[in-house]
Amino acid sequence: MTAIAAAPPASRRAGGRRRHTGALWGLVAWAVGLFFFIPIAWMILTSFHSEPDAATNPPSIAAHLTMQGYREFFGASTGTSPWPAVINSMTASIVATLLVLALSIPAAYALSIKPVRKWTDVMFFFLSTKMLPAVAGLLPIYLIAKNLGMLDNIWLMVILYTSMNLPIAVWMMRSFLAEIPMAILEAASIDGAGLITVFRRVIIPISAPGIAATSLICFIFSWNEMLFARVLTGVRSTTAPVFLTSFVTSQGLFLAQVCAAAVAVSLPVLIAGFAAQDKLVQGLSLGAVK
Amino acid sequence: MTTLTTESPAGASAPAGRRHRDVQGTGRLAVLLLSPTFLVLGLVVGYPVLAGFRESLYTTGQSLDANGFVVQGSQFVGLDNYTAIFHGDRATAFWNAFFNTTFFTVVTVTLETLIGVGMALIMHHAFRGRAVVRASILVPWALPTAISGLLWRWIFQADGVANAILHHQVLWTADGNQSKVAVIIAETWKTSPFIGLLVLAGLQMIPQEVYEAAKVDGASPWQQFVRITLPLVKPTLLVAVLFRLLDVLRMFDLPFVLIGAHKDSVQTLTMLAWNEATNLRYGSAAAYATVLFLYIALVAYLFVKLLGADIIGQARQHKSRKAAA
Repeated sequence: MTAIAAAPPASRRAGGRRRHTGALWGLVAWAVGLFFFIPIAWMILTSFHSEPDAATNPPSIAAHLTMQGYREFFGASTGTSPWPAVINSMTASIVATLLVLALSIPAAYALSIKPVRKWTDVMFFFLSTKMLPAVAGLLPIYLIAKNLGMLDNIWLMVILYTSMNLPIAVWMMRSFLAEIPMAILEAASIDGAGLITVFRRVIIPISAPGIAATSLICFIFSWNEMLFARVLTGVRSTTAPVFLTSFVTSQGLFLAQVCAAAVAVSLPVLIAGFAAQDKLVQGLSLGAVK
Repeated sequence: MTTLTTESPAGASAPAGRRHRDVQGTGRLAVLLLSPTFLVLGLVVGYPVLAGFRESLYTTGQSLDANGFVVQGSQFVGLDNYTAIFHGDRATAFWNAFFNTTFFTVVTVTLETLIGVGMALIMHHAFRGRAVVRASILVPWALPTAISGLLWRWIFQADGVANAILHHQVLWTADGNQSKVAVIIAETWKTSPFIGLLVLAGLQMIPQEVYEAAKVDGASPWQQFVRITLPLVKPTLLVAVLFRLLDVLRMFDLPFVLIGAHKDSVQTLTMLAWNEATNLRYGSAAAYATVLFLYIALVAYLFVKLLGADIIGQARQHKSRKAAA
């Protein structure tokens, strides 16, 4: 007991017990966070400026704030609303992320917990689909979509984003699931739990941080995808980044407007990030493992 | 068994409900769990890849359809599109792009890994306002490339912030080595958070008890990092680095938005393929894409073979542990 009682102060993980180290880490973290955030802070600040203020260099911090940039982006003078594009992007990103999870978790389970013969080949096959430059796949996909009458259809984007994100999701989920101690799964099956119960009660709760990270990544990749969206979507199914670039092309000289547009298009991703944050923080507590 | 029959319609994996996970059932279950993923990837990715390869053996004729895409009049030319890449001016352009691609990959992935792991370690600690800091570090990666390219173009423009800070006039976006630096800075800023996020999730899954046991044994923080954190985070880190490798090797939009097309100093292999495609030389574009595909496949294979050995080892461990139990 004495050894255990003496041990914690010697470590920096003891949290409250070593306030100074904790404060130092906090300071470093804030400095790094700030450094990475400064360009974005500048963009957000500029988005609230009027056009003459936005054009000054270095950026004026004390300038009068206005919502004019946002009003312009939401169609005050051009008359085109970004909402249909945002809704399209939402549909494509959310549905694709859910499909990716539904497909990749069982596949990753098969590859990690129950190793298949030649599973490295399987993993490599998944990977190889990420090796071809997207430019090369574009023409065949365009022709197929045209023949199927799927051009300018948001569900085509759902299918494409699902398959684009599947390889990374399988690889990631596999590495998370591989960390689940086999003993828990054995205990569950000895207690008579079927596969679905094991998934619902054991695997998914334990790997929640991994699932959160995977869904966040799939959501962001789908939300930001440009190349395919630009070629394969049209008037009805245009996505937010495509709308944004066409807005930038027409309003590119108006810095405040462009910044407002960029902030507005990035907002859903930021919200998703905050939402997933929660789950990310939940560690694997040994209480669950026992 | 009654519970099994009621359960099975709910999921696609009916035979999986077996109470005892016998060795024979494992193979069937795995096939069942994997097949939907295979099907989707085969249809949506596999077919276009093969079609693209076929395209690389043809040269495009004169006839274009209404959309500007060539559908008819292609001629089979065998490997001519490939040999053309390695002759004359195009060989110079190819090796330049090849060098750029490799250079960007080595430099940015190294920087991103170091910064990303550092970020994850910092974010893993408890401190005031942790959620806010985590979120703000992740933001650069979440930003669409079209936006971050634009953002860095403003920073690097002649009268922009970068030059104001340096008190020095550098033409960042002109052709030359400084534009390579600009691309590397923007790319590292944008994607270090990606590695940071993955490593952080890996860190979160390490049981606290392992560290406590190490502390009882008197391990120093450095020893804990080298002996516990790194080995346990390694599978996640390797996946993150591997996917970064695949992405950087195909880098396209950042140099394109930041510096522009047809700039030798930042021309990547994907940009070469894109140039060909926009000039309606699809066969040639597909040939470039296939060459790049082979290069990436080689890099990925070497990476998995050289560094991924313990990913395989880990799965085997599970297997043998299971067999022992």
